[in-house]
Order: sequence, then structure tokens, then C-alpha cells
Amino acid sequence: MLYIILSIFFPVFAGIFLLAGKDMRNRKSLLLTVSLVLIVTTVLTILAITLMGGEMITLFNLTDRLPILFRVDELSVVFSVMVLTVSVCTGVFSFEYMKHEEKEKRYYGFFLIVLGVLLALCFSGNLITFYLFFELLTISSVPLVIHNRSREAVMAGLKYLFYSLCGAYLCLFGLYFIEQYGNTLTFSAGGVISNTAAAEHQGILLGIAFVMLIGFGVKAGMLPMHAWLPTAHPVAPAPASALLSAVIVKAGILGIIRIVYYIFGASFLRGTWVQSVWMILTLLTVFMGSMLAYREPVMKKRLAYSTVSQLSYILFGLSVMEGDSVTGGLLHVLCHSFIKAALFLCVGAVIYQTGRTKAKELRGIGKEMPMLMWCYTIVSLGLIGIPPTGGFISKWYLATGALSSGIPVFSWLGPAILLISALLTAGYLLPVALDGFFPGESFDYTSVEKKEPSAFMMAPVLILTILSVLMGLFPGHIVEYLSQIIEKIV
Amino acid sequence: MELVQNFPAVSILLCLFAGIISSGLKKKAARWINTALILAEIVLNACTLGYLLETGESYVYVMGKFPAPWGNEIRAGVLEALTALFFCVIMLLSLEGGRKKLADEVEEGKTYLYYVLADLLLSSLLALVYTNDLFTAYVFVEINTIAACGLIMIRQNGRTIEAAARYMIMSLLGSGLLLMGICMLYDLTGHLLMSNIKEQVEILYASGEYKIPLLVTIALISVGLSIKSALFPFHAWLPDAYGYSTVSSAAILSSLVSKGYIFLLIKIIYRVIGFPIFYNSRIIDMLFIFGLMGMVFGSLSAIKENDVRRMIAFSSVAQIGYIYMGIGMGTQAGMSASIFHVLSHAATKSLLFIAAIGLTDVSDGSRKFRHLTGAAYRNKWAGAAFTVGALSMVGVPLFSGFISKLLFAQAAVQNEIKMLPALIVLGISTILNAIYFMKTVIRIYTPVGGNRYDTVTFKDMKSYVAMLICFIALNVILGVSSQPVTDLIEQGLAMFS
Repeated sequence: MLYIILSIFFPVFAGIFLLAGKDMRNRKSLLLTVSLVLIVTTVLTILAITLMGGEMITLFNLTDRLPILFRVDELSVVFSVMVLTVSVCTGVFSFEYMKHEEKEKRYYGFFLIVLGVLLALCFSGNLITFYLFFELLTISSVPLVIHNRSREAVMAGLKYLFYSLCGAYLCLFGLYFIEQYGNTLTFSAGGVISNTAAAEHQGILLGIAFVMLIGFGVKAGMLPMHAWLPTAHPVAPAPASALLSAVIVKAGILGIIRIVYYIFGASFLRGTWVQSVWMILTLLTVFMGSMLAYREPVMKKRLAYSTVSQLSYILFGLSVMEGDSVTGGLLHVLCHSFIKAALFLCVGAVIYQTGRTKAKELRGIGKEMPMLMWCYTIVSLGLIGIPPTGGFISKWYLATGALSSGIPVFSWLGPAILLISALLTAGYLLPVALDGFFPGESFDYTSVEKKEPSAFMMAPVLILTILSVLMGLFPGHIVEYLSQIIEKIV
Repeated sequence: MELVQNFPAVSILLCLFAGIISSGLKKKAARWINTALILAEIVLNACTLGYLLETGESYVYVMGKFPAPWGNEIRAGVLEALTALFFCVIMLLSLEGGRKKLADEVEEGKTYLYYVLADLLLSSLLALVYTNDLFTAYVFVEINTIAACGLIMIRQNGRTIEAAARYMIMSLLGSGLLLMGICMLYDLTGHLLMSNIKEQVEILYASGEYKIPLLVTIALISVGLSIKSALFPFHAWLPDAYGYSTVSSAAILSSLVSKGYIFLLIKIIYRVIGFPIFYNSRIIDMLFIFGLMGMVFGSLSAIKENDVRRMIAFSSVAQIGYIYMGIGMGTQAGMSASIFHVLSHAATKSLLFIAAIGLTDVSDGSRKFRHLTGAAYRNKWAGAAFTVGALSMVGVPLFSGFISKLLFAQAAVQNEIKMLPALIVLGISTILNAIYFMKTVIRIYTPVGGNRYDTVTFKDMKSYVAMLICFIALNVILGVSSQPVTDLIEQGLAMFS
């Protein structure tokens, strides 16, 4: 039990210590401390994952009926591995990138707190624990958004804060009712709503389920509460954007999985109006996100819109509630976080080296930093869903799951929209690579100078790229592991 | 009779005597007497609480030799002892936290008067909590009002005198209504002791006689006490009184004085009118509606405010709204949520006032938001404490505010008619709270170029920091292990009836 608690609280306390402590003598000792904390956290988490056999650990009781509870199940393993990989990569990337930003200590402090809170979310064993860390996640990630304290950043941070708090309150609203009607607040595969309560209060429970979906959907950028995401993600420093877009939004996804499959249960929601409305919302979000990304000239904003759309791919998979589609959704959780982190880091490296932020300005960039742009191209192909990258596998599962689900209209409409959106994805990602490598005849080749970023920036991008390709080449083990989860919950 | 049973009466009298003696003493001596007094009160009330928990039942203490129904009585139960203990602790922390500011803002020759007033205020608060006699309650309500006016006015400038005058007028209106209510009750029942009135009221209610006078009485008492505790829309006196008085006064007024009246109201509901009769009158729904309106409009006024002290004051209006909403819910759970919020809000609001003064002091004394930019870097402890207070107000888990909100919501879910409005307004209010508190937190943590202002270090303000830490600890304890406190409250409520 020690390892779970330690893996959560070690980074949190390390972060608080960094924030409260005196300034380090020099930059090197700060980076050394941060990397040490990252390594120790990784080791602790791996120990927690491997040694814990699903037993419950009560930290303390908030009130008699509301214990703060941790547990490692298969879903926690998937999410915590994702969180750790991406956090470590973005952390290493920051070592170089944050050189030209002020107040580095504050950045790393909150970075570590966010890491701890994310792990806590993965390991949460009941709804109240999840809610607690969901709130803390919002509060500890706002400083990352408003890091440079420009007026724009602060306004974006406030927008993020209010959307998230609204969402969190909607979840709390649901929590009150589940406490009343459910057997327990502990996540249990298949749901906790008793049959009698489900029969007597079906109407109100469905309403609550919908409210909670919208509530957690705020973090996952789902319509109608998505507007904060394209505002807040781009204003953060690039590695923080990567963390926000790749990992922090997944907290919303995790929340939705937990309430749909572990609180209400798929069998309770299947075939109800909640499922239909949810599917409509996700498909609308997929389409709208891609369209907006396609029109957006600023690269970081474009990627943020792309996040909105890709997250709803995952949510669509979850909303179908069939084995294959849920597998696809979970696979896409992993794929999207690796790919989106890599993309944001690529764009961040470009900004760091050249200061260019718009897609138009990136002409000929492939000549200046070929390796980085190769990575960019490969992960872009992954996001579009072209084999042999991971994105292909996850989208394949999503589409086949939807087609075989037998839900009227959506079984074919869903895959169709996913396909259109994939085309749009190609439309907003690939031109950058094309113009980058083939700038055309009018391009002034004499002005090109090599600007390849340093190893600290290159290595994380490379690792994430390789991971996304490996997922496409050898998906077998992961799918097998995911099937353990699927068996229990669908 | 055991020795401990004398403690409630002793604690009230001790305060009165301390006040009288202090009025003839020098500043230093008055201060030490005051501190020693509050410490002694904490010990006395803690002993009482321990004794009551051990015996498990409340007792009535007869003052003097006249037995009921003529004499004067004090009643001690778990809830009374708990509240009294809590009030003393908050009083101590608030006075100590604002001590330095007090020396700056109050004329040198008058500081001893401040402690006299504080002693009298404490005695009246304890009397309001412990009394079993409506007329005694009224007398101490007046003492409370006068002491509170003094606390506002002792910092002499135009704004405070105006604020005190306003407070006086509204407060006297409230006491007047309360007095009329008490007179009518005396007329109807012929008694002044709470337990005797209750018996008679029950008989009256069962017989169906004097229905309308009874209703009017309930209305008069409820409205009188809600004016005094600044329930929306009777809150016009509040922002100036809390906003311009010296910081200890603001903390004491917001967290203790208004709460004393609320406690008296709850006591009257249970011990004088009787909960079922109060529930069946429509007054309870009015309290509920005013509570809801206060939650929204108080927060809206706070958002518009450009002065941090007045913003915190307006937030009190919203929080008082929460408490009345809980009372208006008309369930046992709602009532205990309200009482928990009385405690939790007392701990949080005084923390905010004390922390805010640290922030304004490092901004040339300006309370305008634009000058507060970056104040949390200049006074780190006050910044951190303000953040904790703000998070608690917004209702983030691990702090006391979240537990209050949870208890309110749990109570609301049990009442099918009032559930939806309560939950929706709770949501709106949470968001509004977040808007102005988070705005402030971000503001004080926004760095500002240049070194226009002084920075204070730990060495300059040891006792201030110690008080802030105590407040933070109190908040976290209430937030993390609330179960013992809620158990005590439920036990105390059970003793009431």
C-alpha cells in the first residue's frame, strides 16, 4: 500500500517543496532535482502497479460514508502508464525549452504536483476520491496555463478555471444522487446502481448520468462545453500545452469511463436517450473540431482544435458500448496522448528555434530541421490513421465496433463521420510537412541553415514517435491486455 | 451538583467582571487580562463539553435561588458547549491576528477600551449561547449590539462612524422586532423561560387558539434575528461595518456576532417554538427563499466590488444565505448542515479577513485590486492563507467549505420539493464564489515589475503567521475529519428537543 501512496504524494510534496523553497543556486541543481523526482516517481509507480493486486487502500475517511480510497485495477494501469510516459517526455523536453521562460522553479513545482494528482486520479477507487483529485487537477494546472502572466494567458486561465469548476460541480451534483440511490460510491465493474433503484428512479438516474457526462465532458472538450480548450491550451508554454492536451484532458475521459462503466453500468445506459444524445454530441464534436482545426492558421491553436476532435473519437468509441469500439477508444487514449504530445513538442521546438508560430511561416522548415519534421510527419500519419502507425489500429477498432453494434443510423453514420474527419485531419496536418520538405521553386534555398534542436528536445519527440509506431506494429499485447478490462465492463 | 456544572455560568460572569475591571486598567494590563480571559474560557468550555459528553445529557442550571417558572436559568448541552468553545477559539485567533493593526489604527489612549468591549462581547455571546431564558437573551442581545457598535467605531474615521450608525439603526430595528416577539410570547403564554413557553405553545397550538398571534410572533422573532444576522435583503449595513472597521473587529463581527444571533434563532426554533410548529408556519419557506436569494445576490455584489475587504464582506452575505437555506430546508439534516456551516464559515471568514489585512499592508494600505497585484509575493504567508480561505469558500475538497456544501446537498436530496432549487442555487453560488475568489488569488499571485512596495519577512510578524497557521489548520481539520464534529452537532440537536 505504501507504493501507491508514495507514488502519489512524493511528486506532490516535491512540487510543493520546490514552490515554497528558496531559489536553487543554479539551473543545473533545479533540473537535477526535477529529474530525480521524475525517476523516483516512475520507479514507485511501476512498483505500485506490479505489486498491488487490486486491494483497496483507505487513506482516511472524509465522513463516515465517504472514504478516500485508492485501488489499482487494469484501467488504472493503462492510464498511469500513459500519464508517466508522456509526463517524463514533456518534463525532459522542458529542460531545454524552459530556458528562455522566467520562473522555471514555479513551472516545475506545479508540473510535479500535476503529475502526482494525475496518478492519484488513475488510482482513485471511488467517486469521491476521483472528484477530489479532479478538482485539485484543475487548480494545480491553472498555473501552468497562466505561466507567462500576460493578460491573454490570465484570461484564458480564468476561462479554463470556470469551465472546469462548472463541470466539476455538475459531477458533484450527480455524486449527491448516486450516494442516495447507489449501493456504494466505490467503482465496481458493471455499475453500482441497484436493480430496484434503477427500476424506480430510472428517469432521474438517466438525467443524472447525462449531467455527469456533460460535467466530465468539460475536461474532455466535448460539446457543448469545449470552448475553453482551444483558448487555454495554446497560451501555455509548449511542454505544458503538450501535457494539457495529451494527458490532463484524459482525466475527463477516465472520469467518463468510470461513471459510465463503473458507476451506472453499460447495461443500464445502453439503448437509452442518454446514449443517443451522447453519440450525437461526440460526432458533432469530431466534425466541428476537425473543421475548426482546418481553418486555423496558428499551429498551436490548430493542434488544440485537433485535440477537441480526437478526444471525441475516444468518446464515440465509449458511447457505442460494444467490445470492439471500447477497445478502440482505449487504444486511442494511448495513441492520441503519444501523438499529440509529440506534435505539440515538435511545434514547441520550432517556436524555440525559430520563433515561428503560423502554419504559413513553416515553409521550408523540413530543410532546416529534417529530423524533427520527419517525426512530425510520421506522427501526423498516425493521427490521420494510416498504417502501420498506432492510429490505424485504434480507428480500425472504433469503426468495426460501431459497424457491428447494430445501433440504427449511428452504426454507419459514425464510421462515415470518422472517415470525413480523418480526411480533414490530413488536410490540416500534412500541408505543413509537405511545404516543409518541398517548399517549391520560389523558395530561397541559400537562406537555409541547420537549426536542429538539441538532444534534450529531440529525444522525447523521438521516443514518442517510436512508441506510436510500435503500437501500430505490435498491437497484439495491448489489445489482449485491454480485453481483460472489456470483458468485465461491457 | 458537580463543580463542572457551574462552568457555563462562571464563564459568562467572568467575562463581565473582566470587562469591568479592565475599564480601570492601562492598555497592557487590559490586553493581558483579555488574553488570559479567553484562554480560561476555552478551558472552562472544553471542560463543560467533556463533562456533557461523558454524562450524555444536558442539564439546566438555576441562577440564584428562584426555581422555575420565576427564576433565571442556564442550559448546557453538547451543542451549546461546542459552539461556545469554538467562538472562544475564533475570538482568540482573530484578536491576536489583528493585534498589530489594532495598535496602528486605534488611538493610543483608547486601546484598553477595545479590550473592554471585546470582553463584554464575549460575555454576551456566551450568554446568547447558554441562556434558557428569553428575557436574558434579549438583554444580552442589546449588550452585544452596543459592544459591536463600539468595536466598529473605535477606529475613528468618517466611514466607521457612518457604518456604526447604520449598524446601530438596523440592529436596533432587529432587537425591537425581537422584543415585540418576546412580549407577545409572554402575553400568550405567561412565561419567559424557554422550556415553560414551549409547553404552553404546544397546548395553544393543539387547541387552535390564537393562531394568528402565534404566527405573527414567529415572524417577528425570525425577521428580527435575521436583520441582526444580515440575511439578504436586510444586509445593507454589513459591507461598511465589516469593510472599514479595524480587522479584528471585522473578523469578530462576521464570524461571531452574526453567528450568535443565528444560534439564538436555532435555539428558539427548537426550544421555544418547537420544530414541528415552526415547520408548519410558512415562515420557514420565507427563510429558505431569502437564503437562496442571498446566496446569489451576495455573490453578485461581491463580484462587482473593487475593494478586497468589502468583497469579503459581501461574500458573508452569501454565506449567511447558505445557513438560512439550511434552516429553511426544514429537516434535521439541513439544520445540522447549517450549524456546521456556522462553524466552518466562522473559521474561514476570519481567516480571510486576517489574511487580507496582511496583503493590503504590503500594498501601501490600499485595498483596491489593482494595487494588490503581486501582494502574495510580498507577504508569502498571507498570500498562502488567503488562497486556502478562498479554496475553502469555493468548496474544494480537503477544506471545511466542501464539507458544508456536501452536508447541504445531502440535506437537500432528502427534501423532494426544495431539492432542485437548493442544488441549482448551490451550483450557481459555487461558480460565482469561484469567480471572485479565484480572480483575487490570481491577482495577488501576478508578479509586478519593480520594487515599489516593501516585502515583509517571517521575522516581522511571528505571531501573525502563527495565527494564520492555526486558522489554516482549523480549516483543514474541519475539512478532513469532519465526522466527529458532525456527530457532536447531531448529538447536540438531539438534546435540544
